[in-house]
Amino acid sequence: MTNETPPSTEAPPAPAADAIIEATDVVKTYDTGRVQVRALRGVSLAVGRAEMVAIMGPSGCGKTTLLNCLSGLDVIDNGRILIEGVDINHLSDDRKTEYRSKRMGFVFQFYNLLPVLSAVENVELPLLVGGVGATEARETALAAMAQVKLTDWATHKPAELSGGQRQRVTIARSLVNQPAIVWADEPTGDLDSTTADEIMELILSLNESQRQTFVIVTHARDVAEKTDRIVQMVDGCIVDEQVTGRKQAASGRKPAASGRKQAASPPSQA
Amino acid sequence: MDSMFGVSMNIIMWVLLGALGVSLAVVGYVILRSRVMFIMGVRNMPRRMAQTTLIIIGLMLSTLIIAAAFTTGDTVNHSLSATSYDLLGHTDEWIHQTAEEDGPPRSIESSVPEEAYDSLRTALLAADIPEIDGYLPVLLEDVPVINPRSRQSEPVVNFVGLDSEGLEGFPDVISITSGEALDVASLDANEVFMNESAADDLATEAGDVIQIFVQNVQYEFTVVDIVTDTVLSGVGDFDSKSGFVTRLDTLQELFQRPGEVNLILLSNQGGVRDGMALTDAVSVKVDEVLANADLAGEDLRMYPVKRDLVEGSEEAGNIFTTFFLIFGLFSIASGMLLIVMIFVMLAAERKSELGMARAIGAKRGHLMQMFMSEGMAYNMLSAMVGVGLGVLVAFGIAQVMRTIFGDFFQIEPHVTARSLIVSYSLGVVLTFVTVTFASYRASNLNIVAAIRDLPEAEVPNSEAGSVRGFLRGVLNAIIVVSTVPVGALVLMLRGQSFGFPSEERDPSERIPLWPFLVVPLAPFYVLALLVVRLTRDRKPESMATGWLLAGIVLPPVGLVLVALQDRRRPIAWTAGFATLGVALGALLIQVGLASDTAFAFALGSSLVVFGLAAVLAFFGLPDRPVYTAMGVFLVVFWGFVAGARLEFLFGQLDGDMEMFFLSGVVMVTASTFVTVYNADIVLAVLSHVGGFFGPLLPAMKTAVAYPLASRFRTGMTMAMISLVIFALTMMSTMNLNFERLFLADDARGGWDVVVVENPNNPIADLPAALEAVDATAQESFAAVGRLDIARESRVAQVNLEETNFDEYPVVGVDQGFVAGGSVPLSARAVGYESDRDVWQALASRRDVAVVDRFTVESGGFNFDGSGFSISGIDPQATEFEPIRLKIRDEISSLDAQVEVIGVIELGASASFIGVYVPADAFLTVFGKPFVSSHLVALEDAGESKTIAREIEAALLTGGAQADSLKELIDDQQALSRNFFLLMQGFMGLGLFVGIAAVGVIAFRTVVERRQQIGMLRAIGYKRRTVALSFVMESSFVTVLGISSGVGLAVWLSYFLLTSDEFPTSSAGYVIPWLQIGIFSGLAFLASLIMTYIPSRQAASVPIADALRYE
Repeated sequence: MTNETPPSTEAPPAPAADAIIEATDVVKTYDTGRVQVRALRGVSLAVGRAEMVAIMGPSGCGKTTLLNCLSGLDVIDNGRILIEGVDINHLSDDRKTEYRSKRMGFVFQFYNLLPVLSAVENVELPLLVGGVGATEARETALAAMAQVKLTDWATHKPAELSGGQRQRVTIARSLVNQPAIVWADEPTGDLDSTTADEIMELILSLNESQRQTFVIVTHARDVAEKTDRIVQMVDGCIVDEQVTGRKQAASGRKPAASGRKQAASPPSQA
Repeated sequence: MDSMFGVSMNIIMWVLLGALGVSLAVVGYVILRSRVMFIMGVRNMPRRMAQTTLIIIGLMLSTLIIAAAFTTGDTVNHSLSATSYDLLGHTDEWIHQTAEEDGPPRSIESSVPEEAYDSLRTALLAADIPEIDGYLPVLLEDVPVINPRSRQSEPVVNFVGLDSEGLEGFPDVISITSGEALDVASLDANEVFMNESAADDLATEAGDVIQIFVQNVQYEFTVVDIVTDTVLSGVGDFDSKSGFVTRLDTLQELFQRPGEVNLILLSNQGGVRDGMALTDAVSVKVDEVLANADLAGEDLRMYPVKRDLVEGSEEAGNIFTTFFLIFGLFSIASGMLLIVMIFVMLAAERKSELGMARAIGAKRGHLMQMFMSEGMAYNMLSAMVGVGLGVLVAFGIAQVMRTIFGDFFQIEPHVTARSLIVSYSLGVVLTFVTVTFASYRASNLNIVAAIRDLPEAEVPNSEAGSVRGFLRGVLNAIIVVSTVPVGALVLMLRGQSFGFPSEERDPSERIPLWPFLVVPLAPFYVLALLVVRLTRDRKPESMATGWLLAGIVLPPVGLVLVALQDRRRPIAWTAGFATLGVALGALLIQVGLASDTAFAFALGSSLVVFGLAAVLAFFGLPDRPVYTAMGVFLVVFWGFVAGARLEFLFGQLDGDMEMFFLSGVVMVTASTFVTVYNADIVLAVLSHVGGFFGPLLPAMKTAVAYPLASRFRTGMTMAMISLVIFALTMMSTMNLNFERLFLADDARGGWDVVVVENPNNPIADLPAALEAVDATAQESFAAVGRLDIARESRVAQVNLEETNFDEYPVVGVDQGFVAGGSVPLSARAVGYESDRDVWQALASRRDVAVVDRFTVESGGFNFDGSGFSISGIDPQATEFEPIRLKIRDEISSLDAQVEVIGVIELGASASFIGVYVPADAFLTVFGKPFVSSHLVALEDAGESKTIAREIEAALLTGGAQADSLKELIDDQQALSRNFFLLMQGFMGLGLFVGIAAVGVIAFRTVVERRQQIGMLRAIGYKRRTVALSFVMESSFVTVLGISSGVGLAVWLSYFLLTSDEFPTSSAGYVIPWLQIGIFSGLAFLASLIMTYIPSRQAASVPIADALRYE
């Protein structure tokens, strides 16, 4: 633990009135053929604009599933998810894809860069997909590369970059289309602690400067505590939410432990 | 077929069976000693059924093509020999005049006078040769026939007279209704038996009365019965089967040839097929009789007709098999590339499993055993399916051949057990070798990288670029090459191989050293002996001696050096093998130049260039410029070699069909190197002009970037497609250019119809003859010319050291031919301003001649130097100094000298073959023509077919044959065009290989890129964009392959067809874009279809699932 501020024990603030993400009773079950695994059991969560939320919990608790469902990468079985007021699960695949390409960015643990393209080509890909012209896309991508301080490495292929540099490219890619929300799944999971700190600092500074919403799935408490709020999950349910010191510092309050808990039911297999 | 490339098929079969046995023994060993590896290998088969199906298709293609080639050979051999047996029946040999050429009865112009025949008959009967059970004197004539009842007629039908006394040994006049042998003795003087072919042509039934014409006099005969087609019933040749038969004395009287015969047929003891075994014995005894008999001055000889025709059939079968095999080599090579690629990709797919297996104790040999088990399981199965399908394909080919050659002989699909065994064994063994190589490559992995599915890190070679490292590489390569058999054995038995890093080798399993001391010497001696043998009758003795010395001295030195080396260091294998390639290449160049063999020279040169490129890369030169320069050089070099543009440097080199395959393989390899090392230009261009493609740009970028990142895969697939497209384009281009040459209007020399008179009913003046029968055809004539053809003409060039007469047609031309024709010339003697001047000279002088182009081509008409040819006239020249020829009548021995003043253009030479002399000169030497052709130019050339029919109908009683020249040329071309199409279809089978490769890669790519697809979908790729990207990726590789194949073939064919060595050089060069477009389009379409399913799979990958797993 690098954060010396203890978590808040007070009740969490109600989601901001201009919540950008609103999930209500989200249920997701995986059918593996012989068994059904209930990955999300009626999860409700609201995230405000420009808020940075961390989702934590043990392996298999449903963190990544929640992120996938919220971002529209996966479909839900029950419940409702509104992103900027749009019920994302009722969009066609094409509309959903378009929405993602224009309003969302993604950062993955293993970077997921295309090995055959150079760094800048990877970064400009979402723009090209979104219909931006080649020249404009290249200029914007180079600007994004500059933001993550990788201008000199723009023409290098991913294999020629270090882990930290690759993650910077991923971040540049996630931000290049000025998305409303950035989803990050274990963004520091594959990095050493120094590089992980650098990446988090970069994310924080971008969040501050560009006012984008960040939802970060992480195992690392120190990463989580740099965000505004920590959502704790166990067995497909949100069991705890804590406002971190960052939020409190921003709002002038002391950090407090979570006061809200959802009823947790034991994991079951249908 | 009994032999292949000069080696007995039985030997080939036993060798292949031995190799098959070795392959199976290896699998047996794995089953016995490493059962778990075998089970692991085999259980991989049902894991991905679609992929397994593609693999089996890929593996079976080689066997399919081999089996199809052998079965086609069997079919041709069987069909021709069966036709020969059927037509000849019990006739095994015949006796005829020595002066005549050997061949089927129609081509024999033999005539044995009564006196000679009587003496011969007496001598043969006195000799009482026990191996012979029948002598049959035969007289042959051609007559025009009309059947008034059916109103059908034929201008030329063979009429045979048989001596009933001799028929005992020849039960070959067989009624088709009763199946009984008939006796001509039962026929009256106005009765005949008609054979089936003639009965078909004339719609004749038993009992019909037919009319024949001799010297324009009509005779009537009653057809007593219809009999089978045999020599005795009038079959004259494979394309002249119509005939009818009567008593010998009847025919002799009709044609006023009392006591005279053409041939004396001999029948050996035994049946139709087994009698031939006695031919040798008969030959000796008959020759003795012929030598001792008083033959009234006639020179008679025996001709083993049946053996000749049956051997000819076998030879034709061999030619077909070789032809199909050589053209199938492209597909076989593609198939082998596919096998290697499949196994490399299988290994990539199972990388982490293999890494785990290695981590828990499996050795490399075990992994090899596993892959080989799997490969052999696929192999045994697919080879069996391949043989079955190959036979089916060959039967399909037989059907097509029936439509092409059905007029000449009956095609019956046939396959021998030996061909099946050879095809299966060859298929299995080829695949086994390829699978072994691929398994070795697949087993060579880094454990950690494999488990974590990371890219294989290259082991840094501290000696890279150093002379020491280079020398070690070379020495080790020598050792490995020398010990391939032992090495393979050791590899299998010990799970180890020479050259593996020593720290991984268990000291207790060290390989014994002695094989490495003994075996390396052998190949050097073999090499040296080979050189001695190849160059024995050629050039420098010292060359062979040098290699022999090198063979003796170098290996021990090398061995000592290798023994002293530190084996812990990595070995520069590529540089080592490349250097061996350079050495072998140098040897081949030397052999090629010494023996004037293009194959050895071109292969050697290519090896030297490939090898040098690899060595330069080893010494640190950047890959891209080195391999690009190498590729470009080879493509240019091959164009120049094929087009004989380097003769000024290396002299004339002889090549054959094998050069076609070699050029394809080398040029495709070279072009593939150039492409894969430079295709990123496409990506750069895309980036610069990206806006043009709009929303397609991201899909295009990934579609181009991925293939460029996998050079091996892309190169292999591209090469597979390129090889086959190259072969198809070459074939189409060659065919079109030759067709153009011989189909051009010039080829007819201004004439439209040819009328060939029946020698029994000569026509002095064609229009007059037509007017005499109240015909109207002559009213459409614009010009008429006559060509007189000699019966026995010989020609010799007189300005040479020796005057050697060769048989060659001598043709007399009349004033009409000179005035009305416009046969184009390719060259004229000095002093003649135009073609017309030359032809006019034939009308005004007696001592000049015009020759066809074949006579001045290198090798003459037969292209092999046999037969008549003229030296001193350059085929490419347009002007030459006159050459003097002597023409001679072989019968009267009269001769005359003529001066060659013109050479007919090649295209027209196919229609106008021979030495054309003024009619006066002709008549002086030959007395009278044996036969005359009348050429007609029409007012309207488009009417040629109709007018030809009218002429033939009008002159039917005279037996004249009239044909439209355009139709004749069209028919000839249709025959060759159809055969080319058949070959193209056969070669097109190879495209399945390339397409299968595209499919295998596409399926594999979906699995491999699952996570990246998830990411692309996450950042905004729609399903159809993902699918489109996959389709574009396959299309990109297919288009590269097609472009490379077409480009190379156009390049090579241009040099080839415009070279002085080729007769097409003067006719301009054209490219069959339509045909190329059709097969390229089909290949492209097939690759799209093949990619459809995997692209759909890729599009429907669930994003969250795909992203979840690394």
